[in-house]
Amino acid sequence: MTTMQTTHFRQEKTYLHPLAVRIWHWLNALGFLLLIITGFQLRYVDLFSLMSFESAVKMHNWVGFGVIANWFLWLVYYVTSDKITNYHPDLDAKDFFKRYFRQMEYYSAGIFKGEKKPHRVQPHDKFNPMQKLTYQFVMFITAPAMFLTGLMMWDVVRFQGLIEMVGGIRVVNTIHVLLFILFTFFIIIHAYMGVLGKKPSSHYKEMITGYEEPH
Amino acid sequence: MKIKVITGSLMIALALWALAPAVSLAEQASVAGDPDAKCLKCHSKKLKKKLEDGEKMSLQVMAADFEESVHSVIGCTGCHRDVGKSKHPSKKPISSRRDYSIVQNETCSQCHASKAKAYDGSIHASLAGNGNVDAPLCSDCHQTHAVKPMAVYQPVTGEPCKACHEEIFDAYAQSVHGLARANGNVIRDDHIQAPICADCHSAHDVNAVAAVDHLQSTCLDCHDGASVAHEQWLPNAKMHMTSVSCAACHSPVAERRIDLQLYDNLEQVPVGTNEDHPEIQDRLVEIDESDDGLDPLELWKLVRLSTNEGKATNVTLRGRMEVTRGVDAHRLAPRADAVRSCDTCHQGNSEAFQNVTVSISSPDGQKQRFEADSEVLNSAISVDSVGGFYAPGGTRIKLLDGLLALAIFGGLAVPIGHITLGKILRKKKNTEQ
Repeated sequence: MTTMQTTHFRQEKTYLHPLAVRIWHWLNALGFLLLIITGFQLRYVDLFSLMSFESAVKMHNWVGFGVIANWFLWLVYYVTSDKITNYHPDLDAKDFFKRYFRQMEYYSAGIFKGEKKPHRVQPHDKFNPMQKLTYQFVMFITAPAMFLTGLMMWDVVRFQGLIEMVGGIRVVNTIHVLLFILFTFFIIIHAYMGVLGKKPSSHYKEMITGYEEPH
Repeated sequence: MKIKVITGSLMIALALWALAPAVSLAEQASVAGDPDAKCLKCHSKKLKKKLEDGEKMSLQVMAADFEESVHSVIGCTGCHRDVGKSKHPSKKPISSRRDYSIVQNETCSQCHASKAKAYDGSIHASLAGNGNVDAPLCSDCHQTHAVKPMAVYQPVTGEPCKACHEEIFDAYAQSVHGLARANGNVIRDDHIQAPICADCHSAHDVNAVAAVDHLQSTCLDCHDGASVAHEQWLPNAKMHMTSVSCAACHSPVAERRIDLQLYDNLEQVPVGTNEDHPEIQDRLVEIDESDDGLDPLELWKLVRLSTNEGKATNVTLRGRMEVTRGVDAHRLAPRADAVRSCDTCHQGNSEAFQNVTVSISSPDGQKQRFEADSEVLNSAISVDSVGGFYAPGGTRIKLLDGLLALAIFGGLAVPIGHITLGKILRKKKNTEQ
C-alpha cells in the first residue's frame, strides 16, 4: 500500500487512485460531458443552438473516438495491473447483495446519522457494492455498446452488415439514445455522489490528488 | 432535191432518236417513275377518312414537309407497304386514330428495331400498354410525315417532350442545365455539354422518374467528382447519396417528402419489381380501410403480419428523401444555391418529414404510393417497422424524448430528495435528543 505522511495530522493517507486512472477519469468526464452536450445539439436542433449541426456532428465524432481510445487505455491499465481486483465480480451473490442493501441503507439513513461506512475503501477494493455493480455495468456493457452503436452511425455504409444484423439504423440509434439517457442520468447521480464524502469536496479532491481524504 | 429530202429526213430521224431517251425519262419521272408524286397527287389534297369512332382522320400529306423529312428517301411505300393498285383506297375500316397509329408504329420497328426495343421497356410503352391514350407512340414524338433528323431535337426547343411535359420543360429551361444549354453550354466558365431531356431520361428507353437509382447514376455519369466532393464535407456522404435524391438538395425550392419503399429482404428487390406481391398490395389497401393514411400501428401490421401465398414475408421499409413533384426535380439550381445546411432536415420541424408515403414498385419502375401519417417517423412502434430509415434530430422518437426528460428530472430529483431526507432525519434526531 502506498502511503504518505501529512504534516498536520501525521495520519496515513491511502493512495486510492493511481495517476493513470485519474487521467483516464477526468478525460472521460470531459469527453462524456462534450458528448452529452453535442448529443443534445444533434437531437434537438429545433430547441438548442449552441453550435451548428455540422459542427456538433464533427465534435461528437472526434470526441467519441477520443473516449473510445481512452476506454482502451483504461482497459489496458487495469488488465495489466493488480488493480483489476476492483472490478472482479463477487462470486458469493448472497453476500454481495446483502452488502449491497446495507450500502443502500447507509446512503438512505446511516449517512445522515453519522454512522460508519459499511465498506472499507482500499486500493484493491475501493468500490462499495453499489459502485462495483454500477461500474461493472457501465464499463463493460453500456460503454462498449455505446461505442459500437456510435461507430455504426458514424459510417452507416461501412457497418451496413452489422446494422442490418441489429435490425436497422433506427434500432441502432434507439439503443444509442437509450444509453445516452442512461449516461445522462448516471452523470448527474455520479456528480452528486461525489459530494457525499467527509466534506462535499473530499471525493473530488481524492480524484485529483489520488489520496483518500481523512475521515 | 431528193437528196435534200433524204438528208432532212435522216436528220429528223437522228434528232428523234437522240431525243427519244430524254422523253422516256421525263415520262418516267412524271408518271410512272415517282410513285410519291402519284400518292401526293391525291394526298396533297384535303382528303379525310371517317373512322369507326366517328372522328374524321385527315389523309393530307404536306409535300414540302415530306420532302424535308428524313424519310423522303424511302418514299411513301417505304412505310405504307400494304398500299397497292388493287388495295387502294382501302375499304378496311379503322376504329380510331389511336389504333391506326399503334398499327402503323409497328412499321417503324421494322427499320428501327433497336429503338423500338428500347421504347418497349420505357415508361411511355408501359403507359400505352395500360391503355393510356395520352402515352406517346413513335409518331407522337417524331410526327408522321415530317420525321426530322436527330439534330432537330438537340437545341433547347423542348421538342418533342415539351408537347406533353410543358411545365417540366419550363422548369428545366430555368434550371442550371437549361440556362447553360441556352447559353452555349457554359457552366462556371467552362464549356460543358449541358444535358437536354434525353441525356438524363434516354431518348427511347424513357425511364420513370421513380427509377431513382438510374437517375442518380445518370447525374453521377456527368458529375463524376460529386461523390468525392460530398465526402469532403458531408458526414455519411455515401449514405446521404443513397437515401437522399440529388434534387432534394439541388432543387432548393422543392417540397420534399419521405418515401418508404417496401423492400423484399429475401429477394433483395423492391416489392413489386420482380414478382407481383398481390397479397401485400391488397393488404395495404385493406389495412388502411379508413383511407386516412397509414398510422404507425397499421404500418407495423403491414410489415410484420403480411403474407404472400400463405407464407410469411420478410419485408422492410427503405426510406428515401425525394422531391414531392416531378417538376421540382427539374428546377436544379447552381451548386452555390443547393441546400447545404444540415439543419434543413435534421430537426423535428423539418417540412421534409411532414409528407410521408409508402410505395410499392412496379416492374417498369413506377411507384404506387400510399399516404402515411407523418407520425410513422416518430413513433416507438416504428423502431421495428421503419428500422431502415432514421435521420438524427428529424425523425426522433417522441417516447425517447419523454424518457430523457424523465432521466434529467429524475436525476435532479435524487439529490434534492436525498438532501431533503437528510434534513428531515437530522431534524428528527435533534428533536429526539
